[in-house]
Amino acid sequence: LNRRRFLEVGVAGVAGTSLVDMLRARQAPAQTRESTLRILQWSHFIPAYDAWFDKFAKEWGDKNRVKVRVDHIPHLELPARMAAEFAAGAGHDIIHNGSSILTRLYYKSLVDISDVYDQIGKKYGGWIPAAGPLVQVEGRTYGIPMFYILLPMLWRKDLFDQAGLKPPDTWELARVAARTLKPKGHPTGIQFSQCADANLNWRSLLFSFGGAEADPSGENILIDSKETREAFRFAKALFDEGMTPEVFSWDDASDNRYLASGVACWIHDAISAYRTTEDTNPPVFQSTHIGVEPAGPGGKRVSVAAANVYMIWKFSRNVQGAKEFLAHFMENDLEGMKQSRGYNMPYLTANYKKPMPIIGTDPKMQILQDFPKIVAFYGYPGPFTTPIQEVVNLFVLPDMFTRVARGQAIDDTLKWGLAEYRRIFAKHKRA
Amino acid sequence: VVALPARPTSRRTWRTASRQRLIFGYTLLAPAALYVLLLVGAPFVFSLYLAVSDATVGDPVATFVGLENFRAAWEMDTFWIAFRNSLVFLVVAAIFKSVLGTALAFLLLQDFWGKKVIRGLVVIPFTLPIAISVLSWKWMYDSQFSVINWVLSRAGLIGSFGSPDWPVWLGQPHLALAACIAVNVWRTFPFSAIVLLAGFTSVPLEVLDAARVDGCTFFQRFRHVVVPMIFPILMIGFLFDTVFTLSDLSVVYLLTQGGPGNATKILPVLAYQIGIQAGNLGRGAAIALCLVPLLFPVLILVLRNIKRREW
Repeated sequence: LNRRRFLEVGVAGVAGTSLVDMLRARQAPAQTRESTLRILQWSHFIPAYDAWFDKFAKEWGDKNRVKVRVDHIPHLELPARMAAEFAAGAGHDIIHNGSSILTRLYYKSLVDISDVYDQIGKKYGGWIPAAGPLVQVEGRTYGIPMFYILLPMLWRKDLFDQAGLKPPDTWELARVAARTLKPKGHPTGIQFSQCADANLNWRSLLFSFGGAEADPSGENILIDSKETREAFRFAKALFDEGMTPEVFSWDDASDNRYLASGVACWIHDAISAYRTTEDTNPPVFQSTHIGVEPAGPGGKRVSVAAANVYMIWKFSRNVQGAKEFLAHFMENDLEGMKQSRGYNMPYLTANYKKPMPIIGTDPKMQILQDFPKIVAFYGYPGPFTTPIQEVVNLFVLPDMFTRVARGQAIDDTLKWGLAEYRRIFAKHKRA
Repeated sequence: VVALPARPTSRRTWRTASRQRLIFGYTLLAPAALYVLLLVGAPFVFSLYLAVSDATVGDPVATFVGLENFRAAWEMDTFWIAFRNSLVFLVVAAIFKSVLGTALAFLLLQDFWGKKVIRGLVVIPFTLPIAISVLSWKWMYDSQFSVINWVLSRAGLIGSFGSPDWPVWLGQPHLALAACIAVNVWRTFPFSAIVLLAGFTSVPLEVLDAARVDGCTFFQRFRHVVVPMIFPILMIGFLFDTVFTLSDLSVVYLLTQGGPGNATKILPVLAYQIGIQAGNLGRGAAIALCLVPLLFPVLILVLRNIKRREW
């Protein structure tokens, strides 16, 4: 045995033994165990929030001797990353779900965090009613609702005043405004396309018209109704009278640009559009106002918001650390709202005490403080079930609105849409 | 007594030169074979398994459901729209890539100043990260700020923004599909050109000169001399191109997500939306596997042609 051979055998033996030990234990060596917390979340639409969050997480880590790593990815990539981590049985400890809340799909692989949810809820006067169905399955809680994003009416007061129009307090008034202002070069626009905002906006309209996709149990399809037909008729008229065909090509940011460019008379979008306008077109921003969710024909107002939730994987090596971090994060819920410039809306009732940070002090944004009463999420009036999740991800509802706007008969559209809903619901029922 | 030569032992048999060469050959081949088995064969077999199961992204336990996922996919209106769009996408893109790739390859064959730099530049669309290049195209196709529209408008070919003839590239069904195909062609025709260029440069000049002396025109030389000589390269390029085009998820997903109203939905996008975003791995895998019948005839055609020309 020469010296080189001795070294080769020795190094290979030590490395091999360590590896075998680690694999057998299915965890990292003791010196790195439970000292790291990995968080995966989206790149926030308000970049300053990400900078604050990363610092906030690091400070918590330093205080608790936990090395915190935060990874940001585009929101559209979250479902794919979640699937990959589930398949690998490894990845981050805390994972963020944005808009598409996958609790019902993954709950068997998520940690039951009912204790944190209940404890935080108790301390802050409870959660808003729409929060529970996002994270609860069979009586247990598998996620912490972190914030949601509202999509209110953003309307140009100067244009409305010049034309003698009333604020868009109802969908009918919004339609009259679009009809009046389009010939003056100021149409409106809502996405008739396959994007997240289309899913949210058309549901707000449908639900405000009294329509629903499923009943409160989430089991039975209710899409074929008088209210849905009425909503379709309204959307067709709104398109014909107040929009241009460019809405068929829009993505989530197109309406932001439409408002910021000074063309739109109103849009129905998150306040990121309002903030973008503040930064890029101050004169238009000055005359842009935020309105309450327009009421449907029966006076009903439902604002479908984009939910955001944190979850902890069962395979996490630091479940306790993850729970403690989430509790700490929720203790600082209002600070997060401030850092997001009022974009993040809280789920905790106590945090709605007026005046709320940012939105409570800005006269134009104060109206947002009243939204918790009318906020809803996908699946309304029931939970965000797996069939509805598939309906959302395949853009079935926006496609139905698009077909009607393009001229397809409402009966034909409903026939097509109902078949899609039935097929999806039947498949999940079988499963 | 005559001493017989000792019979060679099996150990010595392995040491003969031909055997050793054989072992050496297999050893060299092993990494490639292993690579194909692990990175292509295993995922393919796994996707076959998924396609006949009710696997979802959140449940590790899946049960056998036979051909149920295929049946369900075929019952979907959207599946057939995606199938048709995939075919249109493939055929139209292939035609444009062949024409543009051939033209570019001929241009790059010529002697001109800065030829090496130009050759480097033409592959940029192919080498750029797809997210960046598609984002640029998304801006160029923007309904309001499209640079294409503004140029056409300034040139007096279309009206101003808001006029009825202002094209909405990603909003009108046929234009949207054409726009997606254009980006795919723009990205990959340099690859076709490079493959063809490699083929053209391998044709001996003497053969071309002989054809020229015999009075062949440019097109006759191309048709009867160049194409037969580089046919195997052409076929391999065609095969690669077909695979790349049919499995191209990114362009459509980033530009339109399959909209407006499924007008640009292709099978990979549908498979991704159902398999990953909606969590139905089984059905997603079944839809993705429907690409195989589209690819298989092309593969057979190409390989048979290449084999025939080997003799």
